[in-house]
Amino acid sequence: MRRITIPIGPQHPLLKEPVSFLLDVEGEQVLDSVLRLGYVHRGIERLAQERSYVQIVHLVERVCGICSHVHTTTYCKAVESLMGLEVPERGVYLRALLCELERIHSHMLWLGVLAMNMGFDTVFMYAWRDREIVLDMMEDLSGGRVSHAVNVIGGVRIDLDEEQRKDMLARLAQLEQQVLRAKNVVEHERSLRARTEGIGILTPEQAKQYCVVGPVARASGLDMDLRRDMPHLPYSELDFEVITHDAGDVWARTLVRVLETVESVHLCRQILENLPDGPVSVRAKRRAPEGEAITRTEAPRGEVIYYVRGDGSESPARLKIRTPTLTTLITLPEQLRNVAVADVSVVLSGVDLCIACADR
Amino acid sequence: MTTQEITKVTQPSRLGTLRRSIVRWARRRSIWVLHYNSGGCNGCDIEILDLLTPRYDVERLGILKEGSPRHADVLLCTGPVTRQSRARLAQIHAQMPEPKWVVAVGSCATSGGVFQGGINVLGGIDQVLPVDLYIPGCPCRPEAIIDGIVKLVELIP
Amino acid sequence: MTARKDSAIDPPHYESGAIKEQIVPALQTAFPDDILDVQTMPVDETVTVVRVEGVRQIIRHLVEELDVLHLSTITGQEIEEGIELLYHFWRGSGLTLRVVLPLDALEVATVTDIIPGAAFYEREIVEMLGVTFAGHQDPLRLFLPDDWDGPPPLRKERS
Repeated sequence: MRRITIPIGPQHPLLKEPVSFLLDVEGEQVLDSVLRLGYVHRGIERLAQERSYVQIVHLVERVCGICSHVHTTTYCKAVESLMGLEVPERGVYLRALLCELERIHSHMLWLGVLAMNMGFDTVFMYAWRDREIVLDMMEDLSGGRVSHAVNVIGGVRIDLDEEQRKDMLARLAQLEQQVLRAKNVVEHERSLRARTEGIGILTPEQAKQYCVVGPVARASGLDMDLRRDMPHLPYSELDFEVITHDAGDVWARTLVRVLETVESVHLCRQILENLPDGPVSVRAKRRAPEGEAITRTEAPRGEVIYYVRGDGSESPARLKIRTPTLTTLITLPEQLRNVAVADVSVVLSGVDLCIACADR
Repeated sequence: MTTQEITKVTQPSRLGTLRRSIVRWARRRSIWVLHYNSGGCNGCDIEILDLLTPRYDVERLGILKEGSPRHADVLLCTGPVTRQSRARLAQIHAQMPEPKWVVAVGSCATSGGVFQGGINVLGGIDQVLPVDLYIPGCPCRPEAIIDGIVKLVELIP
Repeated sequence: MTARKDSAIDPPHYESGAIKEQIVPALQTAFPDDILDVQTMPVDETVTVVRVEGVRQIIRHLVEELDVLHLSTITGQEIEEGIELLYHFWRGSGLTLRVVLPLDALEVATVTDIIPGAAFYEREIVEMLGVTFAGHQDPLRLFLPDDWDGPPPLRKERS
């Protein structure tokens, strides 16, 4: 049988962002694939060397639209460590509240996109409709649906009064109902399971060798979650479970993400009920002293790591960002081996690609 | 030729006017869009995709999101154009059949946004294609995108 | 089956004091000539300065003997003395290996055969800083376009 090359991307109905896969196909089976990144490379690390610390908060939020708050949180934590600032507890809790709301938002978005790419438009419509509850909550907190601009160096710029807090708790109860319904559909709907089980398998050894992080690693059995492994406020005071699975296929990843969404709803409720009093930020100077700092955070897709080096001026000498999607992209040629062409869309959706994050 | 004969020759026939007005009615009420991200952060793209969902539901306005450039009337483009995306953007535009319109969604597509001056960034869709409508915002709200598309309809002859 | 916490194949063993108390002293005992200094960096990161020639064997020892498997990323930056590479590892807390390459000898051995996940990080440093990783199988462009003809973007311009 002849081998042909099927190109996926940069413009493709499956993809929301430009990335190029060239699939080497014989009959119905994919034998090999070549990945080409860089279509979204905007040179953020180099732009950061020319901007001040305050301007970079705005720049770094636009690395990715879906996990924008996590990027600013990690960056602000790094600069605060460099400057020796300590954010007040209420500010830390509010940052975490938005991180968890963003995790819920990202996972529901992903569920809708997976369903749409499988042809299951009903779940897409329901998931994105329920996602609007989260977007409304984030808009009430910060003023923006997708990009919030909540973090400043030294804390956050928003606050909640008692009435808003009660209103958020009521909406959270409504959201929990919808999330539990989505969990019910995912666990019991046989067509979804049939299309995702046994496809795109990543063994635990491969996951360790490729240094995979996030729900993809947890679905292959690796028990790693920075919210628990790196003791920091407020997660050290909250009660939550880390979800893992041992199958390593797209079905395992679906289950892990849906159950993580339920855990995030519990976390949001705990944060809102135990919000400490006090200020939400401290004043920060414009210049950071000479020094270096490394921070890590658990984004919806895994571990985000930032390295900042200051040289005493208003701009950093170096800003390095590594996002979790880069660790899963390197495993895609392995996952796509011997997969049928009709299942390629499921595999590509299963890893939750965020190319804007990977390319920066 | 007498004045009466010239007037009879230069007036369009009634059948031609009817056909033209049916085509115009159909074009204005069913705009099929193609979405392409030329290097943006994804914020505007998820708001564009949000238009299809039950809250905003643009399908009731006749707008459908297509997968192929050959079926689309309007190209909804986001992102500051990166050097690698430029060739594909021009190719997609060339593959769309006439009449076609280009809408630049978001601040990055309008002018490069926050990435102006980046080494790999060209700075806006109008560096590559002729743009008919600009919708600023970082990211654009879905209401702004719907408002923009409605204004585009008025541009359709 | 539903996902359960105890279905994890790798039980958690990431104690937060492991790097300072066990791993770094073990490295200092095994490679006394290659480890030049031990520093700390916020937040909870231990930095070990190593010689260029010792990078590969230290990383092999970390992965195969000391069970430090997770490489977060490799950072490269230009400083006065040359190009500095930082290999960021994680096991309970952070461990960074700092290596300085002089400007006239920008070459270091690859670690992609020990840690396949390092491939993308090394390719990025090749194109952004102009460093060579001896032995890397596939040093193609990763993020920059194929027709990029300027200097490596993260190097300072020299007039």
